[in-house]
Amino acid sequence: MYAAYHFGSRRSRLIPTLLLLPGMLLYFCLSLGPSLATVVYSFTDASGLVGSPTKWLGLSNYKEFLFLGQNARDNFEVLVRTLEFSFLVTVIQTSFGLLIAVLLNQRLKATNAFRTIFFLPVILGVTIIGLMWTLFLYPLGGPVEKILGLFGAQSELLGGPPFQAFLWVIWVQIWANMGITMIIFLAGLQTIPAELIESSRIDGASGWQGFRHITYPLLMPSLNTNLTLAIIGSLQAWQLLLVMKGVTNGTQVLGLTIYAIAFGRVSNNPTGIAMRQGYGAAASVVLFVLVLIIGMTAQYLMRRRERRILG
Amino acid sequence: MKRRSVIIVLVLLLILPALSFGQASATIELLIHQNAPLVDYINAFNQKFQDKYPNVTVNVSVVNSSELATSTQTRLTANDVDIIDMFGFAQGIQPYMKNADKPNWQTLIEAGLLMDLTAQPFLKNYDASAIKDAGSFNGKVYEVNTGRYAFTGVFYNKDLFSRYGVKVPTTWSQLVAACDTFKKNKISAMTAGGKDGWPVLVAGYGILLSAYPDQAALVKGLWSGTIKWNDAKTVGMWQKMQVLAKDMIEPGASGIAFDAAPGRFAAGLAAMYPAGSWDAPAIASANPKLNFGYFPMPGSDNPNDNKFLAGKYDVGWVVAAKTGNKDAAMKWLAFFSQPDNYQAYVNATGIMPTQPTAKLNTTLGKEVAPYLANFRLGYELLWVNPKGFGQWAMPNASFFKPFNQWDDAKKLADQAQADLDAGLKANQ
Repeated sequence: MYAAYHFGSRRSRLIPTLLLLPGMLLYFCLSLGPSLATVVYSFTDASGLVGSPTKWLGLSNYKEFLFLGQNARDNFEVLVRTLEFSFLVTVIQTSFGLLIAVLLNQRLKATNAFRTIFFLPVILGVTIIGLMWTLFLYPLGGPVEKILGLFGAQSELLGGPPFQAFLWVIWVQIWANMGITMIIFLAGLQTIPAELIESSRIDGASGWQGFRHITYPLLMPSLNTNLTLAIIGSLQAWQLLLVMKGVTNGTQVLGLTIYAIAFGRVSNNPTGIAMRQGYGAAASVVLFVLVLIIGMTAQYLMRRRERRILG
Repeated sequence: MKRRSVIIVLVLLLILPALSFGQASATIELLIHQNAPLVDYINAFNQKFQDKYPNVTVNVSVVNSSELATSTQTRLTANDVDIIDMFGFAQGIQPYMKNADKPNWQTLIEAGLLMDLTAQPFLKNYDASAIKDAGSFNGKVYEVNTGRYAFTGVFYNKDLFSRYGVKVPTTWSQLVAACDTFKKNKISAMTAGGKDGWPVLVAGYGILLSAYPDQAALVKGLWSGTIKWNDAKTVGMWQKMQVLAKDMIEPGASGIAFDAAPGRFAAGLAAMYPAGSWDAPAIASANPKLNFGYFPMPGSDNPNDNKFLAGKYDVGWVVAAKTGNKDAAMKWLAFFSQPDNYQAYVNATGIMPTQPTAKLNTTLGKEVAPYLANFRLGYELLWVNPKGFGQWAMPNASFFKPFNQWDDAKKLADQAQADLDAGLKANQ
């Protein structure tokens, strides 16, 4: 038996639709509309300049981005680097977030203070975080360089070889976002009844066994949320790289490459180039497809796992 | 009585704006790039301008030079800028360049976003050649270029050179020996603003110039395949760039911002500073007592190859075609172009003037004077990338460790040529 429909019949039934309309309109104008426009732009040579003539190019931008010359191979390298970035950020951020949440879920002194400290970076802007860490990693007398100096080592840190700089940016990305991961895990941990843990201990389960067989399965919804947020967030991340490294060879991820193409920035060209927003839109669509495939696959696997564990 | 007062106030409120209509106020939005002497001068000049034209206010936005092209394009599109500092028109497409992207200034002109300045009377104050070479397109003038800078030279601390008995090097071997002398005496041989990337690129341009004094011929040769990034002569250039990055520039330079490097040199922390002549005022300002000079980077062991300076047309003014403040913008440009104001600008920024009546009377002016007759446009101003080229296809000293990943000059030379070939072949 269905419950009575609260908005009555006939014209009254329009009320929910009317109430949803402003939100839908905003969503269409600010999110869905621009996304669809990006797909259309990706088939043109739009520069993004008002008054600039725009021609329909068909698949040319995609061919150039994916297949034309060495540039396409460089783009493939960027794609691989984006996946590496996403993988490392997701795994480390989720693991550290879980570890810290479990530690801060204990009845210890000053846990609230520690929760605040770990969450604090989340409220800072990307630019502030980037500049702060740039100072921290300053290779001529910065704090990290001084610590290295105690061991007789010298490093350019952020300014050094791309792989090394890339690892530093990954670390900062994790540091900046781990607070959210921790809070979601903490919320999940606090929904687990203390009696369950207590009874497992009475039954002789060790702390690790209790965590593995009770806490971890019950944290599945939080874990899935965190993994989804981390995967999508890290695949789209680029602002921190821009602030900390700029547009340079060897450290670009796809999001940064899209920005560089669309807004006339290119590595090692002080003069700048013309904006290519049509070409940048094609690169955006490639990133969208990447996020979609990885995001959907991860969602499918995580839900299957959740169903298997929680029933 | 009360009602009458209210009516009087209302009438006054209506009349006063009408009375001041004859002197409508305007606010010019000015966009310039970060260069301390330029910013200081523009702020002082604007004050003078506003004293003369009290109804005009000038708002200045300053961006990093690597972001200038992006800001220019986005702000012109948003129509919230009136006058923009644009580097002299460069990277124009030559007839032998196929399937290359247009430079940003050409895109802006074709989109109708830059004002045609051809008829403006203040253009007469400038060299016709500078107006033609650095600010014209299809017979119309779109930019007032205000001067040139050399970027293939090296600043040097004369006192340190004298203290350690080092003479100004005229060959590569002498430069290597000079660097060794300073390092043995615990003084960094060179500093550079490695954090911004491009200053190390620019530092290597002198080596490129020594290898190819005719930079236009180099560009044509690379496009046509008669010159290769990995031929024997050019591999030597890469090897020298590696020495520059690895052994000459001080460790930790990757953390030094472009605008902090002149201060380190001025403080005597490094004996030399390979950079553009635009840094001379910043050096002099950081340490007015510093005794410094500027010599062409000796990238070759043949002194005759090292007698040149190359550079670029730098600050130029373009005006947004859709500006609502055309009169005010033209007043600003005319006032800037007055010979007395322009001379003050040259004095403050150390730019090599494009007005025939102005003189560069600074220390740097005397240092570069012998090279002006043979001054040439640098590679950066002439090179245009073919579509599909790879990321290493450019002569960049910052590709080497410790700034990037390469530690074998030959391998980088091969990669650079492969990356260029990929672009050239992709367009055939």
